[in-house]
Amino acid sequence: MLDRELKKGSAELLILSLVEDQPRHGYDIGTLIERRSGGTLRFNVASLYPLLYRLEKRGWIQGRWVEKAGQRRRRYYRLTAEGKKVLAAQRNSWREFVEAISRITGIEHA
Amino acid sequence: MPDWNDEVRKRLASLRLQPTQEAEIVEEFAQHLDDVYERSLAKGASESEARLMALNELADTNLLPNELKRVHKPFHEAPVPGGAGRSNLLTDFFQDLRYAGRMQLKNPAFTIVAVIALALGIGANTAIFSVVNSVLLRPLPYKDPDRLVMVWEDASKFGYPRDTPATANFVDWRDQNTVFEGMAAISDESFNLTGTGDPERLEGRLVSANLFPLLGVEPQIGRTFTAAEDQPGSNKVVLLSHALWQRRFGGDNSIAGKPINLNGESYSVVGVMPARFQFPTSDDQVWVPIAFTSKDIANRNRHYLQVLARLKPGVTLEQAQTDMHTVAARLQQQYPDSNTDLGAAVTSLHEHLVGDIKPALLILLGAVGLVLLIACANVANLLLARAAVRQKEIAVRVALGARRQRLIRQFLTESILLSTIGGVVGLVVAYGGLLLLRAFIPESISQTAQISMDLKVLGFTLLVSLVTGLIFGLAPAVQAARFNQTETLKEGGRDSATGSSGKRIRGLLVMSEVAVSLVLLIGAGLLINSFLRLRNVDPGFRSDNLLTMRVVLPIPKYAEFERRSAFYTELVQRVQNLAGVKSAAVTTNLPLYRQGNSIGVSIEGQPPLPPGQENVVVTRIISPGYFDTMSIPLLSGRQFTDQDIRTSPRVVVISETMARRYWPGQDAIGKRIGAGDIERPEDWIQVVGVVKDVHQFDLTAEPRPQMYLPYRQWGFFESRDLVVKTEVDPASLAATVRRTVWEIDKDQPVSNIRTMDEILGESIARQRFSMLLLAIFAGVALILAAVGIYGVMSYSVAQRTHEIGIRMALGAQTGAVLKLAVSYGLKLVVGGIVIGLIAAFALTRVMSTLLFGVTATDPTTFTLISLLLIAVAAIASYIPARRATKVNPIIALRYE
Repeated sequence: MLDRELKKGSAELLILSLVEDQPRHGYDIGTLIERRSGGTLRFNVASLYPLLYRLEKRGWIQGRWVEKAGQRRRRYYRLTAEGKKVLAAQRNSWREFVEAISRITGIEHA
Repeated sequence: MPDWNDEVRKRLASLRLQPTQEAEIVEEFAQHLDDVYERSLAKGASESEARLMALNELADTNLLPNELKRVHKPFHEAPVPGGAGRSNLLTDFFQDLRYAGRMQLKNPAFTIVAVIALALGIGANTAIFSVVNSVLLRPLPYKDPDRLVMVWEDASKFGYPRDTPATANFVDWRDQNTVFEGMAAISDESFNLTGTGDPERLEGRLVSANLFPLLGVEPQIGRTFTAAEDQPGSNKVVLLSHALWQRRFGGDNSIAGKPINLNGESYSVVGVMPARFQFPTSDDQVWVPIAFTSKDIANRNRHYLQVLARLKPGVTLEQAQTDMHTVAARLQQQYPDSNTDLGAAVTSLHEHLVGDIKPALLILLGAVGLVLLIACANVANLLLARAAVRQKEIAVRVALGARRQRLIRQFLTESILLSTIGGVVGLVVAYGGLLLLRAFIPESISQTAQISMDLKVLGFTLLVSLVTGLIFGLAPAVQAARFNQTETLKEGGRDSATGSSGKRIRGLLVMSEVAVSLVLLIGAGLLINSFLRLRNVDPGFRSDNLLTMRVVLPIPKYAEFERRSAFYTELVQRVQNLAGVKSAAVTTNLPLYRQGNSIGVSIEGQPPLPPGQENVVVTRIISPGYFDTMSIPLLSGRQFTDQDIRTSPRVVVISETMARRYWPGQDAIGKRIGAGDIERPEDWIQVVGVVKDVHQFDLTAEPRPQMYLPYRQWGFFESRDLVVKTEVDPASLAATVRRTVWEIDKDQPVSNIRTMDEILGESIARQRFSMLLLAIFAGVALILAAVGIYGVMSYSVAQRTHEIGIRMALGAQTGAVLKLAVSYGLKLVVGGIVIGLIAAFALTRVMSTLLFGVTATDPTTFTLISLLLIAVAAIASYIPARRATKVNPIIALRYE
């Protein structure tokens, strides 16, 4: 597991990216992060949802209860217009940050 | 699957979130935990392992609350109770309001029905309150109006407790009292305005110069009168009303000092009063100084003044009354010839202006209040029915920790929102209602006060709306808060408010609706009954095809008696020759104009009565064709002829009541009465005819002794009414007859052009006004009550569908089922009627002054109205009952 601070800094970017293409519910988001990071990154309920709520409160994502036939209603989060701008900006600065780190540490991109 | 809710809630507890928000978070987390649990199971974990892994998601005990706290900080600052704890009224209120708004939008039909009922109730109240406010509550437009009073001669001994004082008495009162700042005399006068445009007759007043300072009003232009102008010979000055100044003088700003022509004489305009000034009524257009002559000042026998006075600061009405008693007693001693048994009475100016209409208005206000109560009961019933449907929602709320108080508050917010919407729509209803009211409001009200809505009315509406919301919202709110949560949840949403308490409340509401409607209907029934009797009173003449107009000859121009009688002789002659005219006549006063002109007479052969106590007889001076024109039947003797002139013996025609009173059991023809100075032989006049009684003042009063004198024998008269019997529609001849007047004298104004039917209608306008309004309110009440009964019956039948189905399946006949359903409704109605009858017995007494020919507890009205209400109620409960018998037993049984 990564250091908590690092995780926290990148977590927003991760969530925004995941809901960019399609709305997802919390469990979906949590599982995707875990799977795509190969288990390196893992959020539990206690850490994931406060983040979601915070992003929602900032107006970057929006949660909505959706009922689907035969299922319990679930809360789906989607990226807002403002969230899109934030995501683009964060992607840029993250890339710059990673590139800067790479140049210094000599770690190459895969 | 384990239940995570408690686990989650435990960890959120420290946050004190809003219940709805907390519920959402709990739901979202629980789902997540379910998913984790299931995945673990799928991966092969045991149930307890899976449970632990799921709970591990909630680990970091501090993290969750800390992180959430940051997100939900604003809510934390204004925390709201979930199940227990503190509360925040304002936040709750807005939350409830939003919720209530959504509820109304979701049930438009319910909302519309409720709002209509409320708008009718509140609208009617607002409209009537506007009238009450304008007439009774709004202070008169004078300075310190509370200190303004009217002073009357108290001639109770002769049947006139508030008689108009004689000049000499006024002067003595003014000089001897110790309680008034000032006292002013007022006298009716009309003026013929000529010189600009058509000649016009203006209502006006002769007034003491100090009247305006006494009222505390300033003119808009110029000045009011000086004391010097209140002297004979110097009083050819005039103040104009704002309306007259605008209408006839184009709002000329330099009018002060200019001359205008009144009654053929030149008067100098000294000023113009402001637009909102009226005294005493909006009819009055001009004011001229009264300028008593020395002869006037000595006169104690001509009672014609109105006297206004202003109380000194701190003096009460009672003190003023006591002081005036003292003064009057002194005058009795001093002038026994004229003042024996003559007191003085003080009344407030307000009472004088609006006292007559006050009881009717207060009763109407009470009546609309009752209508609103019925509307409340109806809406409460609707809400109760809906509350039953909403039991599940309430159960969930309680399960989530909502407290009863909080539920009641939410329900009240909903009902007050409803009543406020009802109030806003009601304002529109009231505005429309006022426009309608203006059409048939009696002139006696509209002249005294401008009927309009103001801030006070708006405040009243707001208050009524809020109170209304509280009243009809309380029952459902208490009901909702009292219900049993577990029962409801167990019953899977089946309505449990059909329980005895819900049914009892609904039954009580219907009973009270019926009771209140009965009171209103009986009140209306009594008034309608009175009105019909009033309409059936024989006025003593035939009012159809009669055209009337007032042609008052200005005294300076027509100072000589011969000139006046020549004018009227020619007028009657010319009008009679017009096409479409049957006959024409003139009289001093038309009947039903509420005008006096009574004189005291002595009866020959009876001892002369002391001065001031003669037999008072209503006197009319007429032209020969009057009885034919008015179709007043001659009972015996003869009518006047063209030979009854000044030089011939004086004659009189009397009414049957007068004949009966003074010559009981005898033939009055040939008897003589003394009118005027009984020492002078020529003032003794001989009865030549007896005619039927005529209602000279109003239809409600018993006719008094009346006599008619021929117009060419008597020189004293002030106003002359022309009356024309037509063969065609009387109104169509108005212009022609007026032109005929102008052919004789082009400067002669003509006024008060009316048909006799209109005068008759106006004389009972006040009764019609009260009757119509109360009838409308009672009608609305009846409809509301019928709707209420129908609603409750429909509901009760719907609840019993199952039972009815079983009965019918077991072979019950339609009739039996009908009886079953209707009897419940009728039981409620009969209960309501019993209560209503008792209330009506107690309440209708307050309206006895408005009744005519019926008692306040008229058994016929009470019986008929009760039967009517039972019939309406039977229909209202029959329709839903009928539907119940159409139930297919199979469907009814499956309905479960």
